[in-house]
Amino acid sequence: MDVLVFFAICFIVLALCLCYRLIKGPSVVDRAISADSIDILSDMALILFALHSGRSIYLDIAMVTAVLGFIGSVMVSRYLEGRL
Amino acid sequence: MSIFTGGASAQILIAGALVSAITALFSARFFIHEKAFFLFNPVRFVIWVFYCLIIFMWELTKANVDVALRAFGFKKINPGIVKIETDLKSEYAQSMLANSITLTPGTITMDIAEAGDKTYYYIHWIDVATSDIKEASDGIKGTMEKWIRRIWE
Amino acid sequence: MIYAIYVLIGISVLFALAGVVGMLRMPDSFCRMQSSTNISTFGVLGVILGGILYVLFVFETPDIAMAVKLAVLGVFYIITNPISGHAIAKAAYRRGLRPEKEMTCDKYGEDLENAD
Repeated sequence: MDVLVFFAICFIVLALCLCYRLIKGPSVVDRAISADSIDILSDMALILFALHSGRSIYLDIAMVTAVLGFIGSVMVSRYLEGRL
Repeated sequence: MSIFTGGASAQILIAGALVSAITALFSARFFIHEKAFFLFNPVRFVIWVFYCLIIFMWELTKANVDVALRAFGFKKINPGIVKIETDLKSEYAQSMLANSITLTPGTITMDIAEAGDKTYYYIHWIDVATSDIKEASDGIKGTMEKWIRRIWE
Repeated sequence: MIYAIYVLIGISVLFALAGVVGMLRMPDSFCRMQSSTNISTFGVLGVILGGILYVLFVFETPDIAMAVKLAVLGVFYIITNPISGHAIAKAAYRRGLRPEKEMTCDKYGEDLENAD
């Protein structure tokens, strides 16, 4: 098996472990942070898969996901502060 | 735009320049309150690149290893919120220092307050060594403030 | 060359593991936030650097477009991470979230009470 695919699977397993915090997290803030981190980890897996397959379309997907995750976490924080 | 299409033909470059010029025109008055052409000075630019690639990377490595050890449980955690001071004047320098502090794991900038000619940051620190303003400032800012002052002032 | 890239990506996986373990076993929300910074700095930078080296030196024809895309992604992560971290920390504190365990010192809370 390709080593890059192995590392990508490692990242996906880490993201699945974070789902525990996403489901159980005592407060909204925990859920927001863990959703952001899951976003970043799955982006890393996408980048590794782009390197493995040699196609740059996966990098575009990773870029769009990164932008959406950033906007999402900033929106959640604005909403929590009561200024949305 | 040229990022997504992967080419660099004249059409794509002109369209991208137009779009970014329009965006800058509309958003400039929200973000820029001071003279914005500091980095066109080549000496400052070289210092900036040196800061980003060497000084800041070294601080980042130290803090990352430290927080990783704390996460695995080899070191105890001791969280708290401290207040530190800085006497940087320029807005760019203040925001760059705040972003550098937030980006190193172990410290998060929570709020900024100005009183007199000093600027105070409230910082959540994972290992509070002291709650005194001066000592906490030395411990958190490290060498970063000196280099940021060299870039912007 | 290929082994240096594997080492870079391996370091990145290691720090991501540290961040995930920290997020699962830290006692309160603000400490979990510190651990998530661990994921989004070194967990990202190792993969980005390794990817740029892989694209430039391991491919038969070096793909400059992919290298530029990777660099833009890395710079984007580094710029936006402190903004969202600061926004979420401030919103959480203003909303009234406090850790269960007593903090060593809390200057922000004292100053907010004095201001009111």
